Amino acid sequence: MIHDREILTILGMLNNEHLDVRTVTLGVNLFDCVSDDIDRLCANIEKKIGGLADGLVPLCNRIGEKYGIQVVNKRISVSPIATIAAPFGPKGMVAVAHTLDRVARRVNVDFVGGFTALVEKGIARGDDALIAALPQALAETERVCASVNVASTREGINMDAVLRMSHAIKEAAALTADKDGLACAKLCVFANIPQDIPFMAGAYLGIGEADAVINVGVSGPGVVKNAIDRALEADPNMDLGDIAERIKRTAAKVTRIGELIGREVAGELGIPFGVVDLSLAPTPTVGDSVGEIFQSLGLISIGSPGSTAALAMLNDAVKKGGAFASSHVGGLSGAFIPVSEDLNIAEAVSKGFLTIEKLEAMTAVCSVGLDMVAIPGNTSVETLAGIIADEMAIGMINAKTTACRLIPVPGKKAGDMAHFGGLLGFANIIHVPNATAQGSFVTKGGRIPAPIHSLKN
Amino acid sequence: MKKVIVTVLANDRPGILASVSGAIFQEGGNLDQVSQTLLETQFAGLFIATLTKDISIEDLQAKLRQTLAPQGMDVLVKPIDEPDTASPVPSEPFVITCFGPDRKGLVAEITAILARHKVNVTNLRAMFEGGDDPSRNLMIYEVDVPVSADTSALSGDLRTRAAELSLVINIQHRNIFESITRM
Repeated sequence: MIHDREILTILGMLNNEHLDVRTVTLGVNLFDCVSDDIDRLCANIEKKIGGLADGLVPLCNRIGEKYGIQVVNKRISVSPIATIAAPFGPKGMVAVAHTLDRVARRVNVDFVGGFTALVEKGIARGDDALIAALPQALAETERVCASVNVASTREGINMDAVLRMSHAIKEAAALTADKDGLACAKLCVFANIPQDIPFMAGAYLGIGEADAVINVGVSGPGVVKNAIDRALEADPNMDLGDIAERIKRTAAKVTRIGELIGREVAGELGIPFGVVDLSLAPTPTVGDSVGEIFQSLGLISIGSPGSTAALAMLNDAVKKGGAFASSHVGGLSGAFIPVSEDLNIAEAVSKGFLTIEKLEAMTAVCSVGLDMVAIPGNTSVETLAGIIADEMAIGMINAKTTACRLIPVPGKKAGDMAHFGGLLGFANIIHVPNATAQGSFVTKGGRIPAPIHSLKN
Repeated sequence: MKKVIVTVLANDRPGILASVSGAIFQEGGNLDQVSQTLLETQFAGLFIATLTKDISIEDLQAKLRQTLAPQGMDVLVKPIDEPDTASPVPSEPFVITCFGPDRKGLVAEITAILARHKVNVTNLRAMFEGGDDPSRNLMIYEVDVPVSADTSALSGDLRTRAAELSLVINIQHRNIFESITRM
């Protein structure tokens, strides 16, 4: 017999606190699709993804219905396209992007990730073509997500790649100027990219992964906030150690749901289950916000002094709870602070509590990085590259994942509003000091060497 | 050896279990399973026992009543038939929760639909404190749904009736509760 209180608590999490399975992501290895003929490659990709993913969406809906939990998004991640389509130039890469977009629409998934290059140590021919193709590919497709790993703790920061990505972001923004640079919302620049992220825009299937795999992303910032509120209501004198413990326990419960759904989807599809990624991923909905957690913890707003410490505690407690509840925790697992996707964080920017410098500081302790940050459209390529390089340095030195999803909104300045629509939300454009400066640091090129603590062998 | 089930109802107070188990033991009964619950002030207990002495059901009931009735307990003894040798119907465990304004006949309404779909209720807790506060009026059914059942028809029937009764209903596989609460 299950206790009434347990049943009612779980129902409250599901029905009132926005607990859901944010994404079930089917990873598809495309190495057996390669060809020296672009049409054959695209046909092979379409056939392989279609064969595996045809029943994914109805299956996830059926399993969600069975357990009374919504599987909000169904997605696909593929092997890095820069490798799969290495013989082809930018035109071929764009053709592959269109193929991915077409198959995503056909099987009705909302995104397909893996338009990806791994260039932390050097840019190969395929990588070069993919980066060149990025602006057009992202502007012309709807559901394709791209990521480029330009740095790692083991290899250092490829500054040539950082500069290339800065140009690519600016071009992608220009090509989608009528939508406030929307193409950039589908593009992440990474340090230490994990091979198994189920969340977009960073999802791709690593080359060390199986032929097909199910990875699951669970969210639930509202659940964590309510757990903290309830605990403090019961004991207003509760200290931060006790609150961290409460977050940890809540995170463990949420992770279990991801594990249950992931294993069942994988079992029904007859493919392995990969990881659960428990990430507090907000949506632009009241009650589904990471920013609100900071207020529950006693801060005036996210961004006010104390925020980095609060985020460090939150991120760590979420990881510990997840690790306890699942033997295979992966992806990013922690707390996201995407500005436009979180009403509370977007408001903190508009009210001046949250600056780009404070955001950068917080990314040293969160699970991703500068995420969905709208910056002035006239930000120079050099300044943009500098912001990316700074973020990559945090990831490299701290042996953690960091990423940049920055949108230089064409024709708009700091304080203006940028609208991206749907889950991507809207936000005030953040002030970037000396946005138009053109310093030469980032144009010197080469690689920033890997840190001393990378020498582990 | 015969198996019996002894049902005991009484106003709750300390010592009921001691008296009942002592009386069953006196008559040569060996307890196999016991379950008891309290509803408001009322004790209800079910005791399954194997009889080690040759005693008729009627005599056992008379002896137990003789001991327990003066203590304010109602006792009923019934034999348990040999278990059905047919294999049980394969089924999946679900939990159905209903919240909503109190009104007459709610349990009857829901269980009628369950019965029509051959769904077996394995546990029911219901609390009706009256009024319109949903959290004060709830039913939690733990049920076994035959794998052969048309689950979408079952779910549709339950949801339709629940909506007519202004109830909020959730129908979920039991594993979601198990996996979260049992680590």
